[in-house]
Amino acid sequence: MRLLIRLGPVALIVLAWELVARVGWVNPNVFPPVTDIVARWLTVFLDGRIYAPLWETLWRALAGLAAAIAVGVPLGLLMGRTRWAEWFFAPLFSFGFPLPKIALIPLYVHWFGLFSLSKVMLIFTDCLFPIVLFTYHGARGLSPVYLWSAQSRGTGRLRMFWRVVLPLSLASIYDGIQVAVVVAVLVAVVSEMVSGGGGLGELMIRAYRFGDVRTAFAALVTISLIGYFLYRIAQWLRGILLHWHVTEA
Amino acid sequence: MAAAAYLEMRGVAMRFGDGAQAVSALDSIDLSIAEHEFVTIVGPSGCGKSTLLYLVGGFLRPTAGGVYLRGRGIDKPGPDRGIVFQRYSLFPWLTVRKNIGYGLEEKGVARVERDRIVGEYVRLVHLEGFEDRYPRELSGGMQQRVALAQTLACQPDILLMDEPFGALDAQTRRILQDEVRRIWRRDTKTVLFVTHDVEEAVALGTRIVVMSARPGRIKEVVTRGFDVADGEEFEANPAFAALKLHIWRSVKEEVKAARG
Amino acid sequence: MKMLPLALLVGAWQAAASAGLLPASVLPSFWEVAASLGGMLRSGEILPHTAASFGRAGAGFALGVAGGVVLGLLMARVRAVERAIEPILLLIYPVPKPALIPLFMVWLGIGDFSKIAVIALACLVPVVIAAYNGARSVDDMLIWSARARGTAQGRLLWRVVLPSALPQIAAGVRTAIAVAIIVLVSSEFISAETGLGYLIFSYGGVGADDAMLAVVIYLAVLGYALDRAYLAGLRRLMSWHAFAH
Repeated sequence: MRLLIRLGPVALIVLAWELVARVGWVNPNVFPPVTDIVARWLTVFLDGRIYAPLWETLWRALAGLAAAIAVGVPLGLLMGRTRWAEWFFAPLFSFGFPLPKIALIPLYVHWFGLFSLSKVMLIFTDCLFPIVLFTYHGARGLSPVYLWSAQSRGTGRLRMFWRVVLPLSLASIYDGIQVAVVVAVLVAVVSEMVSGGGGLGELMIRAYRFGDVRTAFAALVTISLIGYFLYRIAQWLRGILLHWHVTEA
Repeated sequence: MAAAAYLEMRGVAMRFGDGAQAVSALDSIDLSIAEHEFVTIVGPSGCGKSTLLYLVGGFLRPTAGGVYLRGRGIDKPGPDRGIVFQRYSLFPWLTVRKNIGYGLEEKGVARVERDRIVGEYVRLVHLEGFEDRYPRELSGGMQQRVALAQTLACQPDILLMDEPFGALDAQTRRILQDEVRRIWRRDTKTVLFVTHDVEEAVALGTRIVVMSARPGRIKEVVTRGFDVADGEEFEANPAFAALKLHIWRSVKEEVKAARG
Repeated sequence: MKMLPLALLVGAWQAAASAGLLPASVLPSFWEVAASLGGMLRSGEILPHTAASFGRAGAGFALGVAGGVVLGLLMARVRAVERAIEPILLLIYPVPKPALIPLFMVWLGIGDFSKIAVIALACLVPVVIAAYNGARSVDDMLIWSARARGTAQGRLLWRVVLPSALPQIAAGVRTAIAVAIIVLVSSEFISAETGLGYLIFSYGGVGADDAMLAVVIYLAVLGYALDRAYLAGLRRLMSWHAFAH
């Protein structure tokens, strides 16, 4: 019942949308009724048309993200704990963070081709920034008391990264990963829209070119669901990995 | 109290939440306060003493009973009842000058007149030279001076103080206590002052209200039979020590009761 | 001093190109790119494209921020607005905004309107959330304080809630600047005859790598300058607030 009240406004909009489209005030090929969109969404799932592009977009996003984590976390930790790495990398990454990396799409296409490699590389590049910066801030900000206490218990300099710095920076690293998850899906879709090569982004653009708004909507809903579920999975993993973490007041 | 009730609480009760989770914060409070009195309210933490103050301020409405000022029920906040909180009284985005002038601006007092009045209050609380600073640039003690000036500049009839010096160090607290007493004597305002510090309650209040553990009831009202002069070293005053001990024992019983 | 690593990087780029380690077919040298940018600036060729991009991004950004602040504050203070907007916001939130470009092109055409609309929506979301959270976290004491000093109920939003929420709104607006540029470039990549995104895309398409990189760098510098100018402006306007950096 409470859920019904909460969803009331959305239901109202959906209902109005359906009515406007059904009554014929607008061209249903431009502004299709919600039920049409849902039907098309179910169709593309049932006849399997959506799976290939869905898989393309998903694995590109995940591969780029994984590469960014693999490179970004060690780099961020290093920046947080060593002077020279901080001196060199910190300004570069904070300079590049707010810049639109998707402007590099043509360059990456030139370097890595039209297909998956250029897209994965761009996703990697874009995700690297939040992961490195959040990891760096986490590793830099941790209280030296922890390090001292580990040192006094005989933890060596290199093991310190693995045993102390990484676990203590994990909360911050995770914040970075959660930003990167959103970025990964966005960059995957944009690069597919711009340079093709399969995936949900290309599906949308093709549907648009053929005037097939229903399929474009179905692709949009799928993209949003991917983004949503990846984000939720990341949140769920955070709860498992960071159950011991208490937010310091 | 022979004086006609100026501020009166009749059968005030306050409950938060409803059903089984309801918490009774205050119960059957009857208290009359005469004009120009300085009343301190002391009690264990969680006894609802601040809630009592918020009822007078009109920020909260009692579940039962009523609070009356000059016979009229209080139902909303107003500039006739100025309040100083322990924190968050000041607007961080306004300078000292604008903070003090805030109430005057809301009243529509013209700029020139406003600046003149603000200058007066800046001098009253010894903040000359800090007019253009922002709250975060001031120490806790100075912030509370500004809050006091901001409240006084609205020319309230009643001054409500909610543990205003609770976050300050002991020396600063003592100095500010003297200032509040001095201002009370000068402006003959009515002051209602909530504190958990027994010494502060005795040093300031002409009457001291001791509250019981939750639900807060009035346990005892003591009239202080002697005067405390500004800057007096009351530690040396045996009457002061005796009254402080009496109040402390009374509060201590309640602290124990609250722990169950 | 902070720019030294960047200068080193650019130096290494140029050195590699001069030494022949970096073929021009992979990456033109820094000088070529700089010369190309110089040429575009001198001929004025880049200016109408800059103006077109700024117009789109600026219009969308202004609409999004204005709408976002008003909606966010109202959501925090008026229960009915919160009830109505929150579920819609939850629905829009996970949509990657550039993915809306094709649909908006169907509805509003391939011209500026569809771009401005998507940019506005993309900027709206972070600002609404920031304003909503900022306004909700206003301390009750501060509101009481204003009430006890004679501020009427109706003026609270303007006198207390908005200024207290400003630091958070400012952070949301900063996100919106970055988002506006991302959506702008995406939309100009997808369909446009003017704008910096269009310029990058068309130079890239004909293999004019030096000119393409020149526009990328130009865009990066503009974006960076905007962000810096915004932060500097904030520090001046909000000197009462202790900013983290």
